[in-house]
Amino acid sequence: MHINYKFKDKFDIWFFATFILLLCIGLLAIYSATQNNSFAENNFIKQLFWVGIGIIIFFIVFSIPTNSFKIIAWPVYLFSVLLLLVVIVFGRKISGAKSWLYLGSLGFQPSEIAKISTILALSSFLSKKDVDLEKFKDILIALAIGLTPVILILLEPDMGTVLVFIAIFLTIIFWKGISLFSLFIVLSPGIVALSSLFGTVPFILTLAVIALILIFFKKGIIFSGSLFAINLAAGFFTDFVYHALSPHQQIRIKSFLDPMSDPLGSGYNSIQAKVAIGSGGLFGKGFLEGHQTQLNFIPEQWTDFIYCVIGEEFGFIGSTITLILFLILFLKILKIATTTKDEFLSLTIIGILSLFFIHFIINIGMAVGIMPVIGIPLPLVSYGGSSLIVNMALLGIVANVFRTRKNYT
Amino acid sequence: MKAENFASQNRKTIMLGIIVIGFSFLLVRLFQMQILQKSFYDQKSQNNSVKKIEKIPVRGLFLDRNKNVLVNNLPFYSIFITRADYNTEQNKLLESVLNLDEGYIDKFLEDNKKFSKYFQLRLKRDVPFNVIAWIEENIEHFEGVNYKVEFQRGYPLDVMGAQMFGYLNEITQSELNKNKNIYKQGDFIGSTGLEKEYETILRGEKGFEYILVDSRQKLIKKLDDNKNTIHAVKGSDLILSIDAELQKVAEESLKGKRGAIVAIEPKTGEILAMVSAPDFDLNKFASVTSDEYFKNLINDPAKPFFNRAIMSVKPPGSTFKILEAITALELGVIDKNITYNCTGGGEFYGRYFKCDAVHGRVNVIQAIEHSCNVFFYNTIYKIGMKKWNEYAEKFGFGKKTGVDLANEVSGFIPDENYYIKEYGKNWPKSIMASLAIGQGEISVDPIQLAQFTSIVANNGDTFKPHILKGYIDEKTNKYVSINAKPIHIAIDKDVLDLVKKGMFLVVNGRGTAYASRLPDIMMAGKTGTAENPHGADHALFIGFAPFDDPQIAFSIIVENAGFGASHAAPIGKLLVQTYLGKKLNNETNNKLAVK
Repeated sequence: MHINYKFKDKFDIWFFATFILLLCIGLLAIYSATQNNSFAENNFIKQLFWVGIGIIIFFIVFSIPTNSFKIIAWPVYLFSVLLLLVVIVFGRKISGAKSWLYLGSLGFQPSEIAKISTILALSSFLSKKDVDLEKFKDILIALAIGLTPVILILLEPDMGTVLVFIAIFLTIIFWKGISLFSLFIVLSPGIVALSSLFGTVPFILTLAVIALILIFFKKGIIFSGSLFAINLAAGFFTDFVYHALSPHQQIRIKSFLDPMSDPLGSGYNSIQAKVAIGSGGLFGKGFLEGHQTQLNFIPEQWTDFIYCVIGEEFGFIGSTITLILFLILFLKILKIATTTKDEFLSLTIIGILSLFFIHFIINIGMAVGIMPVIGIPLPLVSYGGSSLIVNMALLGIVANVFRTRKNYT
Repeated sequence: MKAENFASQNRKTIMLGIIVIGFSFLLVRLFQMQILQKSFYDQKSQNNSVKKIEKIPVRGLFLDRNKNVLVNNLPFYSIFITRADYNTEQNKLLESVLNLDEGYIDKFLEDNKKFSKYFQLRLKRDVPFNVIAWIEENIEHFEGVNYKVEFQRGYPLDVMGAQMFGYLNEITQSELNKNKNIYKQGDFIGSTGLEKEYETILRGEKGFEYILVDSRQKLIKKLDDNKNTIHAVKGSDLILSIDAELQKVAEESLKGKRGAIVAIEPKTGEILAMVSAPDFDLNKFASVTSDEYFKNLINDPAKPFFNRAIMSVKPPGSTFKILEAITALELGVIDKNITYNCTGGGEFYGRYFKCDAVHGRVNVIQAIEHSCNVFFYNTIYKIGMKKWNEYAEKFGFGKKTGVDLANEVSGFIPDENYYIKEYGKNWPKSIMASLAIGQGEISVDPIQLAQFTSIVANNGDTFKPHILKGYIDEKTNKYVSINAKPIHIAIDKDVLDLVKKGMFLVVNGRGTAYASRLPDIMMAGKTGTAENPHGADHALFIGFAPFDDPQIAFSIIVENAGFGASHAAPIGKLLVQTYLGKKLNNETNNKLAVK
């Protein structure tokens, strides 16, 4: 690795320290959550190994030439779409979702790679000189890039990851500078889709509101009519997809729309998670002292419910420190996204920020009971090799852009 | 590049805003949960993982006056189901193993739906050990099924005292509501008799152990070493005044009959035996009461659950002549020399009343000895309604004795007002002649008669009849005696001597119970035959022995048996023989030993 004399300018040591601290917190929590569980006793060692690999990957990505991201964007995108297709055919099922591919004994989720590649591909497309999000055609292409992996993942099906992709897509087109009306075009099918889950009356009401907005914008009868038709189709399509979903995911959606519908089923995790965090108090019960954690009240706590371990054993202080570390990380990434003058890199970094942030907000929000139980991990903290590697690579991209930011001024 | 769009200041601010708002939301929520609501979640966490295990104490025993064990506890296995873990696919197997009807478990679970699904529901009591062993071996096929050792009542001497001892039953909802902090659903509680009366002494104190369980409620370890653990305290053993042998003999003497026996130690008021027949088999109540057995008992016209000794009221018949004699002598309306001529009957206030025989001239002693009605017809008119009623109540009739059993009745002693109400101001005075021989509207129960006999035997001084002598406090290991209320009725000693002499002659002279005399023990008594408009007469006998130092006084009623002399008095003889014969033997043995 080439380090010149102005080390501080090229490497943000605080950025690095922040995510290293988060990795350490994660390792402590995983150790605590798995030490009493015979199914997961090796997970700490495995995670330690992945952290090592992750740091190496971070530095590799950090060091490569910045323009290589743009070069690899499309090949990687196509490769990941291919992998997603493969996983649907050959993937292994874990808790109702077919999202794992195995190479020998090594399992990984292609959707993790798709996250990077979609960010890169979308940024690459949107940073082309003639692309304008006011053009219907360009919106459709952007949607196609963003939604192809979404549809493939929906077929797996993996709710949480779909949400992540939607968040990434919206953030990137927002950052690109989409106008209010274009945003409306993009968002309205989603809103209609969501409303259709609540029943017929909300669905019709939402359609009526959309019709009124279309009349307000006065975009011509054919354009408005076809938009309305798309919305209508989105509603029926959602209904179709909902019924095609696996029962455990239907229950999760239902339990989100009506939390009391299944207090002992998918609500159970949520209740136990809240009990764990709430009973932690100010200082927590101490490392390895959390009843909820040590007695395995929350299944597979080392993955999606890792924040409960922190909440229970390290209390309000420990959980707040974790939150603040994430906040620092986000602000630093946002700063880099705004200081970079290259549009492709800026869009890429904002995509990475949205990926981290949506994971962060859904995962912790789920643990503290203000979000539905959607199985997505807490970046850098939750157990899991492929997600950790991808996250470290993403942070490597951010650090890389920071290193070369002055080249683009 | 459109500067106003791409990464504009506005969009940067919005992004920053979203991040900060999201962060703040989580922070506020954490503060709310971990600081403001900590105790709420703490409690939940405790409930989750720390389980309070209840230790049911062993119930106190019943010992008789000689410390023989009458009622003890026998261990047995019960099978429990926890609905949360139970899979109804196991029904068939479990039903066949436990010998239950098909569909029983479905119905059982349906019936117990109102309880928490984590609650262990007792499916069956008294499951044989080989069945338990089999279930234990195949426990993987019985998820949510467990067994526990429980205790049931045992009756080692085969002394039943069915209605007196009573039985245990699963606590009812109303009892539970009254004592929520002591009992829980499925607990057994004294339901009748002494088991109910002394529940608080017998039950002991529940113990609690705290264990750490994991999310599947599996034991991880016992929590804290004796810091919060409360050891169960065994219930205190009751020392009853009952004499096991006498009780057993008394029970057997009424086998196949309807009736009651109450035997009391006159000096103390301690009840030596109390029998009500027919009775029922307490053993069948100790474990699983079959519905059929219970239904049969409930529907039995002889009412086996009914404790006749304290609940069945009947006219006392000629036994009441003792009371009348005492009253008349005490009031001075007759003396020992007054005689009446019995010609086999007599007319009183326009009605003819007969006597059982032609007794000729009899004084009060002879009148008692031969149970001459004519003498007492005449006497009651001298006493008058008011005084007669007053003395009857003075000797404990017409009110509860206060024995330590629930559901005692008061009986009834009519007074003038009663007849005025019934027949008007000019009520027929002939009624009094009926009262004179213990017939008519008088109703008394066996325990009142036994108490009366005690008072007479012990010259006016006794104690309220009671069954509990005391108990051995399990905590202090000290004997706590129960002080019964003394009864003192001031009567002239000469009066009692006269009456008792008459009672002596009833048995030992040429009296009505001469057939029941004992060669070596002097017993005194009075027979009675209560007329029964619904069927055969009831046979009665009251008595005490030995004559010069009474140690047992008793009343016996055998329903629909006929003459007291022939059906009740022989039982009296048996009781005295049993109780005093043994005592005399012991004393002789002791004397021999001393020598």
